[in-house]
Amino acid sequence: MTSRKSTAVAGGGIFHWLMQDTMDGLRRRRAVLGYLFLLPTLLGIFIFTAGPVFVSFGLSMFQWNIFKPPDFVGLENFERLLEDRRVIIGLGNTVKFTILAVCSQVSIGLILALAVHRISRVWLRYYFRTAFFLPLLMSGASVAVFMGYIFHKEFGPLNYYLTLLGLPQIPWLTNSDLVMISIAIISAWRNLGFTFLIFLGGLSNLSQEVLDAADVDGAQGLRRLWSVVIPLLSPQILFATVTGVIGALQVFDEPYIMTRGGPGNASRTLVMVMYEHAFKDIEFGYGSAIAIVVFLMILVMSIVQMWLWRNRVFYQ
Amino acid sequence: MSAEKKMSRRDLLKMAAAGGTGLVMSGLPVRVIAQDMVTIKVQTAGLGDNSLQPVADIQMARNPNVNVEWVVLTGIDHEEVAAKILALVAAGESIDVGYAATEACQLFAGQGLAAPLDDRITSDPDQDFWTDFFSDVHPSLTEAMMYEGSLYEPPRDFNAANMYFNTNVLAENGFEVPGEEWTKDDFLEIARGTTKKDDSGNTEVFGYAWTNRLWGSWMPWIFVAGGNLYTEERAPGGEWVWDGYYEGDMAADGRGGGFRWREPVANSSEVVEALQLVVDLWQEGVTPDIAMGTGQTLTGFYSTGLLCMTPAGGFWAGRLGNEGMAKGDFDVQYWPNWRNQKHQFGTGGHWLSTTSTAPDEAWDFMKIEVSHDGFQSSIFFNPVIITTPSRRSYSQANAFETTGPANSDVFYGTLDDHPSTSPIPAPPWSNPMTTIFTTYTGFAMSGEMGPQQALDEMQAELESLTNREGRKYYQE
Repeated sequence: MTSRKSTAVAGGGIFHWLMQDTMDGLRRRRAVLGYLFLLPTLLGIFIFTAGPVFVSFGLSMFQWNIFKPPDFVGLENFERLLEDRRVIIGLGNTVKFTILAVCSQVSIGLILALAVHRISRVWLRYYFRTAFFLPLLMSGASVAVFMGYIFHKEFGPLNYYLTLLGLPQIPWLTNSDLVMISIAIISAWRNLGFTFLIFLGGLSNLSQEVLDAADVDGAQGLRRLWSVVIPLLSPQILFATVTGVIGALQVFDEPYIMTRGGPGNASRTLVMVMYEHAFKDIEFGYGSAIAIVVFLMILVMSIVQMWLWRNRVFYQ
Repeated sequence: MSAEKKMSRRDLLKMAAAGGTGLVMSGLPVRVIAQDMVTIKVQTAGLGDNSLQPVADIQMARNPNVNVEWVVLTGIDHEEVAAKILALVAAGESIDVGYAATEACQLFAGQGLAAPLDDRITSDPDQDFWTDFFSDVHPSLTEAMMYEGSLYEPPRDFNAANMYFNTNVLAENGFEVPGEEWTKDDFLEIARGTTKKDDSGNTEVFGYAWTNRLWGSWMPWIFVAGGNLYTEERAPGGEWVWDGYYEGDMAADGRGGGFRWREPVANSSEVVEALQLVVDLWQEGVTPDIAMGTGQTLTGFYSTGLLCMTPAGGFWAGRLGNEGMAKGDFDVQYWPNWRNQKHQFGTGGHWLSTTSTAPDEAWDFMKIEVSHDGFQSSIFFNPVIITTPSRRSYSQANAFETTGPANSDVFYGTLDDHPSTSPIPAPPWSNPMTTIFTTYTGFAMSGEMGPQQALDEMQAELESLTNREGRKYYQE
C-alpha cells in the first residue's frame, strides 16, 4: 500500500511539475514535446545506425561465419587488413574515386547553378531544375545497368557516336586507367542534381545588399564570382563537399554492377571488398573490421574538412 | 432522451473493450485453422515468384494445408545469389527450400545449411519414384550434387558449355556448322573468318565472345587443353546411390561421393595455354573486351548478328527464340577438340534447409519438382526450354522443336557420349575462388598482366585461400 501511494504521489508530482502554470512549466512542456517529436528519429538512429556501428566494433574482434559460434581473435582481423592487397588497392581506388567524383560534382554543380540562376524565364528555370535533379531519383543499380550498356566499348552508343566523328573506340570500363574515371563520370551525372539544387538555393538567398555593394565597388564578372559569390556560398560548398565525400567513400553500386571491381582490381572499392568478405566469403568479423576502417575514414575526412574550412565559411 | 444522451468516455472504453473481445472471439476459428496450415518458404531466382507456381499448385492441390511462400533472390550470377541467401540467413530469416547450382552446392552443404537427402530417398516408401528418376538422370549430374558421400540436391536442370553458332553469320562468310569432331584449329579458322573490321580496324562483327564468370567463360578451353583450376578427386561413399539406383549403368562406374577440389593447379602449362589462346583472340580483335556477366549479356549482340560464336548451354535455345531469333538462325555443336574433348557442365536443383520448420512438406515440394508432373508443368521447360532439363526424357529433340537448335542432341549427348565430362570446380569456398578467378582473368584480358603472370598470381591466391579454408571442409 505504501509503495502504491508513493508511486501515485511521485506520478502526480511529475505531472504537476510539468503542468505548472508558470514560464518554467511552459518551457518544460515545450522541451518534453520537442523530445517526444525527436524520439522516433532518435530511436531509429539508435536501433538502425548507432546500434549496428557498436555491434560492428565488437564483431571486428571475432572470426564468425554465422553458422558456427564466433571465435574471439582480438586485433587479428586488423593485422590481416594491413597485409591484404585487395584492401589496400580498394582503399586507393576509393580515394581516387572520391577526389574525381566530388570535385566534378561540386564544380559542375556550381557552374550549372550559376547558369540556371541567370535564366530569367521561370518555366525554363523549372525545366532545368527538374532535368538536373531527375537522375538522382533513379536507383544506383538501374543507372549502373543502363550506363554499362552506354559505356560498352564495342556495342555502346557512346563509342558509336565517337566513331562517327572519326574518333577511336574508348575502353571506358575495360581499361584499368580509365575505369575509375568512367565510374566517377557516371556517379557525378547521377548525383549532380543534389549539389546543383543546394547551390541554386544558396544563390537565391544571397544578400542583395552585399551584391549591390560589390557592384558599387566595381566588382564584375569573375572578380565578383570569386570574391563575393563563392565566399557567400561557402556554407553550401562545405555542405556539398562533406556530404559528397561521405557518399563517395561508400561507393558500391556502380562499380559492382558495371565491372565487379574489374578489370583485375582496377575498380574494386573498399566497400566492395567489405561486401565480398562479409557476404560472399562469409567472414563477418573481417568484413566488420573493413567496415570500421571505412567508418573511421569517413569520420576523419569529415573532421579534417570542417577544420580546413573553419576560417573560410561565412554564415550570413 | 436517449438519443440526446452523449457518449461518455467510460461508454466508449466499454464499447472498445466489447468490440475487441468480439474481434478476438471471431478470429479464434481462423487461428485454429491457421495452426493446421503449414507454410514453406521456397527461394527462387531470376524469373520471379511465379516461376515455380505450377509446382506449388500441384502440392497445394494434393495437400490443401500447405501454403508455399516465395523468397525471390536475384543476382548477376550464381555466386551472388548464394551470397544473398547467406545474407538472408545471417539476418535471421529462414528458408525451407533453396536453389543452388553447382557453384554453391558444396558451399551450402559444407556450411551445414543444406541437409543430406540420402535417408529421405532410401527410406521413401515410393521407391519406384526414385528408380524412375535416377534412371532418367545421368549419373554425372547426381555426382555433381554430392558432397562427402551424400546427395544434397536432386538435379533439376543442367547446362554444359557447348558452342553456339549464328548460322547467318556463318553462311555470310562461307562456313557451315562444323561436325562433332571439329578441332581447336577449325574453331580458330571460323572465328577469324567471321570477324569483320571497318576501315579503321574496329571490329564490327566478332567471331567469338564470352563473359568473365566461372561457368562458360574461358573454362571450357582449360578443360579441352587438359587442365583445371584444381585437381579433381572423388570423395569416398555414395554407394547407396550407385548400387541402389544406378546398378548396371556403365556411366556410373567409378563414381564416388562427390568431387573434392583440394589442390589448386591454376598455373599449369595447360591452363596458361588456354588463357594465352583467349588473350590472343582478344588482341586480334576477334573477341570483344571481356566484361562480367552471364550469357544473357551477349544474347542481344548474338541475335542481332554482331557475334558468330559463344559458349552456352541448352538455356540459350528458348532465350534466343524470345529475342526474336527464328529456328535455323542458330545452331549448336560440342566444344572443339584440343588435347581432348572434355566438357564442363553445371547443374542445379533445390536443397532442403537444415533450419526448416516443415522439412517433410519442404521435401514433398522438392520431390514434386523433379517428378514427371513437375517437369511437365515447369515454366523452365514449357513452353520452351530456358534451362536444360536434368531428366533425359525431357531433353530430347522434340523439346527443341519450336525453337531449335537443329543439333539439340548435343545437350544431353555431352553427358551420354562424352564420359570425361565433369562439373566446373566448385569447392565449398567457391565464392572467394570465383572472385580470384574472375579478377586475374580480368588482369590478363585487359593486358595488365601476361597470362603466365596472371595465373601465377591466381595460383598464389588460390593456395592461400585453400590453405585457409580447405581443411575445414574435406575429410582427410
